[in-house]
Amino acid sequence: MTPRPLNASDRGAGPYVWRFTPLQRALHAMVIVSFFGLVITGLPLHFAHAAWARVLIRLVGGLHAAGLIHRFCAIVTFAYFIMHLGAVAYSIVQSGNPKRFFWGPDSMVPQPKDLFDVIQMFKWFFGKGEQPRFDRFSYMEKFDYLGVFWGVAIIGASGLLLWFPEFFAKFLPGWAFNVATIVHGDEALLAMSFIFTIHFFNVHLRPEKFPIDLVIFTGRTTTGYMREEHPLEYERRRTAGTLDALTAPPVSRAGYLWSVVLGFASLALGVSLVILVLWALL
Amino acid sequence: MTIARVAFLALLWAGTAAAQGVTCEKCHGNRDFLVGKGGGPQGDSGLYVPASRLQDTRHASLRCAQCHVDYDAGYPHRATSRVVPCQTCHAAEGRDWEVSIHAANATTAGDAPTCVGCHGSHTVYGAADRRSPTNALNVAALCGRCHADLRITGTYFATENKSTARTAVAHYHTTVHGTALTRAGLVVSATCNDCHTAHKVLPADSAGSSVNRANIPATCGACHVGVVETFDSSAHGFAYRTGARTPTGHPAPVCVDCHSAHEIVRADQPQWLLGVVEECGKCHERLYETYFETYHGKVTRLGFNLAATCADCHTAHNMRPASDTRSSVYAENLVATCGRCHANANVNFVRYHPHGDPKDRHRYPMLFWSWLFMTVLLVSVMAFFLLHTLLWVTRLSINRLRGRGRAHSEPPA
Repeated sequence: MTPRPLNASDRGAGPYVWRFTPLQRALHAMVIVSFFGLVITGLPLHFAHAAWARVLIRLVGGLHAAGLIHRFCAIVTFAYFIMHLGAVAYSIVQSGNPKRFFWGPDSMVPQPKDLFDVIQMFKWFFGKGEQPRFDRFSYMEKFDYLGVFWGVAIIGASGLLLWFPEFFAKFLPGWAFNVATIVHGDEALLAMSFIFTIHFFNVHLRPEKFPIDLVIFTGRTTTGYMREEHPLEYERRRTAGTLDALTAPPVSRAGYLWSVVLGFASLALGVSLVILVLWALL
Repeated sequence: MTIARVAFLALLWAGTAAAQGVTCEKCHGNRDFLVGKGGGPQGDSGLYVPASRLQDTRHASLRCAQCHVDYDAGYPHRATSRVVPCQTCHAAEGRDWEVSIHAANATTAGDAPTCVGCHGSHTVYGAADRRSPTNALNVAALCGRCHADLRITGTYFATENKSTARTAVAHYHTTVHGTALTRAGLVVSATCNDCHTAHKVLPADSAGSSVNRANIPATCGACHVGVVETFDSSAHGFAYRTGARTPTGHPAPVCVDCHSAHEIVRADQPQWLLGVVEECGKCHERLYETYFETYHGKVTRLGFNLAATCADCHTAHNMRPASDTRSSVYAENLVATCGRCHANANVNFVRYHPHGDPKDRHRYPMLFWSWLFMTVLLVSVMAFFLLHTLLWVTRLSINRLRGRGRAHSEPPA
């Protein structure tokens, strides 16, 4: 019996298949780096009364440096957001089949099946029936993805208001900045709380995946993994004969090592930040 | 016999003695003569007082016998020979000293500073003279002789005041007043006697004390004329004059409440600017709390003097209610006030709530509903998915315990 690989998407039988494009992987890396930059520089301000706040803000070089880093990471955020929208628009135009981006198994748009999957999942939790079988994207992955959309829009807009208050005061009343402060902070708190607990559990820490799933960095999974995590997609492609077109080579040694380092560093950092939040709240 | 009469007779007598050609200098200016006659082995003890010693003092024109009265002209002089009280001439200073804590409290001879204790005996130069112990540059050291002395402070100060008393002189040297004197050599800077007076030194809880709360603005105002002028017409100045108190019993703040007494630092020092917010918060409790919920407050809380603190909007000494047209926070003055930091602030901009309270639905409905929406969103999303996670872990554990092995949906064979 071969030892269980560290990376969940290396487990199981069969050749590798592509799951994410190089652009998607690069954008997710941008999301990780910029989000950590934003959280680390924003958290001390949100929890200014916490014992660790002064330490953390000095660790990043003081309030002024924190402000610069926060704004730089905001620009990175806007950049990946626009790049992603551009890439999606390009794909829609190029594909010749725009409909499949908005409806069907390959779409990120929630489908009736997602609702049934949620219900089925809860039935399974209580021992009534089998676990739902997912297609290309489970409802959890769609929630993650759309959550980022909502988050970037809300946090980004309120952040811009707070970045350029004198400009926005030309057409907004001053209390809009009070509202922006509340919305920006609380939505950011929701985003980090969700990502560093729920997303981490669903993607990396649940027993089937523990300790990590590097598919977002390597871009590829084994067909065995695909049959477990996305059985409907596997069957759909096998029936349609489009599975072979996805065949990928194993990831390079260097790519793997980078993925391991970035992956575990992100997990550790994220969990640490959640601990800081709990410390501040309790 | 009144003191004045004694003095008059002394003067008369001195004139007679001089006329007789008896000069003190003959013996007291001659060390060789004084050896073995109470002048010590060198003849230079206290009895040795050559006329030259008084030459450039404030008492240069006095003759020995004007102060040294009531001794007989014979030799050796009577041991009961005494000195006329300084009050004879310095009546006002004497009266002040007599009611001071210094005069009233000394239980051990020598513990209370007397005239000569501070001014010297034969070498009375006057405070303007650098050589005088009472010169501005020497006063802290003079007072420190006793006030930095553990025995003196231990004997005469109440337990709760001991540590303050012992450190007062040391702290003074680190203050803006102390450094102005010792580092910048600025003799107009306040030293001990400028606040505590020279002769009528009384503890702060004594009504007649220059450092009693009731007298603080006048005492500081002796130098800080412009500030006290502003303070007097401010809301705090009004409360100070009328004796008004807050519902929690706080009196109006006076200078030392914000600036301290012996730890006064420059008011542009970041640490002081950040600390003074705490002082405002002692009375303005709700405003203090809501301030720290804003960006301004959070930056301040983190220890950075980069965002507005109380005085930036309300001014340092000229704080007035927002209903006062002269107030920096009066509606029509807000564009100018906010504009001090936010260069392009306009009438929209100043509708920001610097003390906005999301929990106050009636005053800040928009903040309340935003806060409520965000909180409900945050709690419901996290609650749903934490439940989802918890149930997932539970189901997997149950399946594993039942020996179903891998818990995930099996791929079709």
